[in-house]
Amino acid sequence: MILEPLPPRILSVRRIPNADDAILRAYGADPLRHRSLGLITVDQDDPTYVALDECTKHAPVDVVFAKSFYAGAAHGSGPLSGEILGVIAASDPDEIDEGLRALVACLEHDACFYGADEAKKTAVFPHVIASLGHYLSAQAGLAVGEPMAYLVAPPMEGTLGFDAALKAADVTAVRIFPPPTETNFSAAWLTGSLEACEAAAVAFLETVVRVAAQPLDRR
Amino acid sequence: MSRTRQLVEELRRQLGGAAPLPPPPPIPAIPEPPVRVFPRRDEGRSRYAREAAPHTTALVGIGHVGTRYSTDVVLQFQAELAVAHHAVATLLPEDWAEKNGMIPLKSRVTDHREFLLRPDLGRRLDEESLARLRQVARKDVDVQPIVADGLSAVACMQSGKALLEAFTKECEARGLSVGTPMCARFARVWLEDEIGQEVRAKVAAILLGERPGLGTGDGLSAYLVFQPAVGRTDGDRNMMSNIHARGTPPPVAGHRLAVLAKAMIDQRTSGVTLDLGKLTAELGEAASRHPRAPQERVRLVEVPG
Repeated sequence: MILEPLPPRILSVRRIPNADDAILRAYGADPLRHRSLGLITVDQDDPTYVALDECTKHAPVDVVFAKSFYAGAAHGSGPLSGEILGVIAASDPDEIDEGLRALVACLEHDACFYGADEAKKTAVFPHVIASLGHYLSAQAGLAVGEPMAYLVAPPMEGTLGFDAALKAADVTAVRIFPPPTETNFSAAWLTGSLEACEAAAVAFLETVVRVAAQPLDRR
Repeated sequence: MSRTRQLVEELRRQLGGAAPLPPPPPIPAIPEPPVRVFPRRDEGRSRYAREAAPHTTALVGIGHVGTRYSTDVVLQFQAELAVAHHAVATLLPEDWAEKNGMIPLKSRVTDHREFLLRPDLGRRLDEESLARLRQVARKDVDVQPIVADGLSAVACMQSGKALLEAFTKECEARGLSVGTPMCARFARVWLEDEIGQEVRAKVAAILLGERPGLGTGDGLSAYLVFQPAVGRTDGDRNMMSNIHARGTPPPVAGHRLAVLAKAMIDQRTSGVTLDLGKLTAELGEAASRHPRAPQERVRLVEVPG
């Protein structure tokens, strides 16, 4: 059965209530404003970026560090490494708790990859963010609260999908990440009205499914 | 279900996938916060607290800003202090003793200011009083009660006579002979030594107004001494204070003082050597070493509004 969710596995969630200044600086936090850190590793990077952005809407936390690991979760450096390490920072451990709660809820109930083929070998991430938080809006150069389509697929499927998405609706490309990326997927951030973003995501997803079903277009 | 999942689900239906997607895991129940709600209790709260409570989350209210006392406290204090000042300043009328059927006596003090400044003069009778005492008073009695103004003529006039009558009745009920009632002006406690010596009493008991406190200008004290003689010290005396309506009422005090006088005559001593251990039942809290219950505070001023 196609398009079944591939739920992300949260591999570790830890807090540092009172982090050392050197750690704060090394991970991009500001020791003057931040004191506590919350750390999470997950085996899917793109849902985690979305979840990190989501948690900035629920708590006064800053996403100070979020990087994907090379070659993806299947090649992690340890059982807890997964595909991404995300770090949120705040002035107070309670705010970290609140942020992590929102982050985990988003990962468990919202953002996830889907299997584009019957065998679930092709993973696709056709996520529509209705309202950007502080983190991704800064990354994308958009205003907080704008909608954005966050589209990820393997290189071939993704490239054709982005093209279909851009043509299907009145959206503009904010950024396109051609392969190779850290995890060797390709990604695109598209913006427009919320309806346009949704239409673009559906067109992208349909194209990915069709490409996965028929990869060889021989003439 | 999130918007993205709905979109994926719709597309899947279009593409021919019939079976619905498995539902996302249910959101776990959010536990109730560990809060215990205490019922509101209004009966113990002041009007100020009741009216302030809906406007604030504060748990403690002092009713004002800064280092001042609240108006109510200042007014109560001033009123209570005025009661004390008034009691100290009041003079016992010269004819009060005769009107109440007592022998009028006076210490060597001549005016109120001298009374406050010269306690030594307040402890001795003047010549005229001494002569009258020798002439009129009954001698060789068991108990000689003396009413006196002390530091509060207000208390003396208010409950002195009632206490004297109660005390006399209780003493006679115990078979003790009681001396002629007498009243001393400008009297200090030790005046009972000279009087008791002159009438050759076994026990002298002076019932006099006590030093006024805040809000209490009408308290009487009673000091009892066995074999009174000039030169007795306070270690030879037993005393009872706070004899007024809100403390020990005069009838109760009269009973306890009579018990005390009888004990002195039985044990032939008084003061620190007197054993009150067997009298706790009759003396009540006066003989016990436990702290007494606090007195009811009487509000002297009501603040309007």
